[in-house]
Amino acid sequence: MKRIVITGMGAVTPLGVGVDTYWKRLVSGMSGVRALTRFDASDHVCKVAAEVPSREEDPEGGFDPNDFIEPREQKRMERFIHFALAAAHEALAQARWKPETDEDREKTATIIATGIGGFPAMTAAAKLVSEKGPRRVSPFLVPSFLANLAAGQVSIRHGLRGPLGTPVTACAAGVQALGDAFRMLRTGEAEIAVAGGAEACIDPVSFAGFSAARALSTKRNDDPQAASRPFDAERDGFVMGEGAGILVLETLEHAQARGAEPIAEITGYGTTADAHHVTASPEDARGQKGAMRKALEVAGLSQSDIGYINAHSTSTPLGDAAELTAISSIFANRGKDLSISSTKSAIGHLLGAAGAVEAIAAVKALVTGIMPPSLNLGQPDEAARAYDMLNEGAKEKKLAHVLSNGFGFGGVNASVVFSKI
Amino acid sequence: MRRVVVTGLGMVTPLGCGVDVTWSRILEGRSGAGRPDTFEVSDLACQVACEIPRGDGSDGTFNPDDWMEPKEQRKVDDFIVYSVAAADQALADAGWKPETYEDQISTGVLIGSGIGGLLGIEQNALLLKEKGPRRLSPFFIPGRLINLCSGHVSIKHGLKGPNHAVVTACSTGAHAVGDAARLIALGDADVMVAGGAESPIGRLALAGFAACRALSTGFNDDPQRASRPYDKDRDGFVMGEGAGCVVLEEYEHAKARGAKIYAEVIGYGMSGDAYHITAPAEDGDGAYRCMQAALKRAGIGPSDIDYVNAHGTSTPLGDEIELGAVSRLMGDAAGKLTMSSTKSSVGHLLGAAGAVEAIFSVLAIRDNVAPPTINLDNPSIETDIDLVAHKPKQMQIDTVLSNSFGFGGTNASLVFRRVAD
Repeated sequence: MKRIVITGMGAVTPLGVGVDTYWKRLVSGMSGVRALTRFDASDHVCKVAAEVPSREEDPEGGFDPNDFIEPREQKRMERFIHFALAAAHEALAQARWKPETDEDREKTATIIATGIGGFPAMTAAAKLVSEKGPRRVSPFLVPSFLANLAAGQVSIRHGLRGPLGTPVTACAAGVQALGDAFRMLRTGEAEIAVAGGAEACIDPVSFAGFSAARALSTKRNDDPQAASRPFDAERDGFVMGEGAGILVLETLEHAQARGAEPIAEITGYGTTADAHHVTASPEDARGQKGAMRKALEVAGLSQSDIGYINAHSTSTPLGDAAELTAISSIFANRGKDLSISSTKSAIGHLLGAAGAVEAIAAVKALVTGIMPPSLNLGQPDEAARAYDMLNEGAKEKKLAHVLSNGFGFGGVNASVVFSKI
Repeated sequence: MRRVVVTGLGMVTPLGCGVDVTWSRILEGRSGAGRPDTFEVSDLACQVACEIPRGDGSDGTFNPDDWMEPKEQRKVDDFIVYSVAAADQALADAGWKPETYEDQISTGVLIGSGIGGLLGIEQNALLLKEKGPRRLSPFFIPGRLINLCSGHVSIKHGLKGPNHAVVTACSTGAHAVGDAARLIALGDADVMVAGGAESPIGRLALAGFAACRALSTGFNDDPQRASRPYDKDRDGFVMGEGAGCVVLEEYEHAKARGAKIYAEVIGYGMSGDAYHITAPAEDGDGAYRCMQAALKRAGIGPSDIDYVNAHGTSTPLGDEIELGAVSRLMGDAAGKLTMSSTKSSVGHLLGAAGAVEAIFSVLAIRDNVAPPTINLDNPSIETDIDLVAHKPKQMQIDTVLSNSFGFGGTNASLVFRRVAD
């Protein structure tokens, strides 16, 4: 089987734009969660979110769409597409991949996930049609909200004419995008792939919906930075985040032939279904276990090879417990030798982008030997205490292989393993 | 690579619930189009749609209670109900009922949708506007998510293998079938339930697609004539709803259990136009490369294709561009090619289109008949290709190519071939 490597990464996160800013702030223990500003949340039960800061709010790391998209075009695409374009721009620049010949363009795939696409545009259009009538709808409405238009716009901007796709498996979508690209490169359908996820659905309707499903944190509206607390006894739901993460994946052969610098290798990927319940995991977490086990098997590794797990851990009471059950059944005897942290403690839950942004954190941990911390983890669950939960800040450790998880509504599970070259 | 065959079919279409009823009505040349009467259409530019005929289940009508408990139906958008019905039919047709753990983990689900729960999002946006955020149901979010088709099907049938969902606008259904075939070919699963589902018909979708000038607006008084691919009077597509699912299976697995084999999936090609978000590249280059990739993977030449089930949506630009790309692909063999658009009968099922058309392609092989392009009174362009106007054509059909193209410049082609006894 062909070996697949990462040659570029790009990120837009609540901790700022660009992988360097994101990583620097993540390991320093900063939180990207704040009191919600995007809409008036006074009558909502959850009033916190991990919003991507604007340039005005954060001159050093804030997001300004003008850096990437002409003003006229900005209005024609939803925010999740803005983020995808920004992250893809950075990742392709780092990979130094700028396909110009037909052959190069046709062998480049674009696989960008999202959980829900342009949700705010849909709800705004619903109101517009009801208040002002159907003829007021813009011709750009449909292409602004379609989930596959993040991938579409990136492919158009960069002339990428190979396979084009969009996984939408809720909160596992970002990991599945990497898995799909990995598989496509292995079968030879493409030689290089721009893969990841993008999400921007901080919107009153999505907030009301996730709140009704009792998925969001509602107890720390007065102390936003303490709201996302995976594995902590006091956790009460996730904090919604937004952003995008994009990785350039490539066959090792292709990277070497063009003299590109591989950052790390994707060695394993596994995905399963719970076949149990639409929103809850079964108590034995067999689906999550299955995904991690399959990823290790594909990588040809044993559990003892994994030094660090970037957990899915959203900060919901049941979800985190189920993941710990799955981890404990596979990594039973590891104790403090296994380090685990939750990036969501700092950046919230980026839904369909989470898996990609967290993969970037896992890869950075692998190559720098610095593992990012879990914030707000004062009282870890009993099952978590066996492991090194990184709750006192970032920590150095020599890592050869790391694992990153993504699980979603519908009972979908995906795990990916990254290894040092 | 392992061989992949089709062993089960299921569908809910505007021509009826079930494969046999839909197919016999297609061959009779019937149209599923009409004027929607469950919501106000008088102020819409397009007042025509292909809706599922609902009833008590007799005479080909769709009775949702036959497929999902009424209490469960209320929690989800219709596209999920349609997908469950189509998957039930396909699994029953295949005689595949995995009961051991081994069989369950080797069976996965990959069902996509182009826009998912747009109707539910529209209704809840209005509910929130009128009654506030606390009135939303806990089932709102999981009932709208696209990957919940795969989720519900996996839960109902205990399918614990790969669980995935893709979105590529109007090529979603074909990508789902092709991606699922790849999972089997690579050994990630032995059996996959694959397809697409869509239930977009409402004021918001009709207004949005009309705003991008994609819908027919000139046949509001004569709905059954509105979808007329290749005809000189065509003026846009007619939106349809429904779902199609196939059971794909590894060849030896199907043979070992004595399953009925409809056809083999021998080719799958994908490409990106990298040109424009809604318009196809005028030279049809993306479509051409996509078909070429599918033929290459199938290891056959253009002259081996007996019949093409076209994307053929009935838009002025798209139909001729596709025809041009097919002519270029066929070269001298164009004169003996037969190609038709079943969208003339069932309308454009968006994310479900590629899946129901894959089923029509397989049935064309089974019955040695090319379904007609109805309403094709005066072709807008001269071609050597037989477009099967009005009446089906009995002919030897062993190999079929099915095309699907979507907004964002995303293309998919599938090749099916008869399996010799």
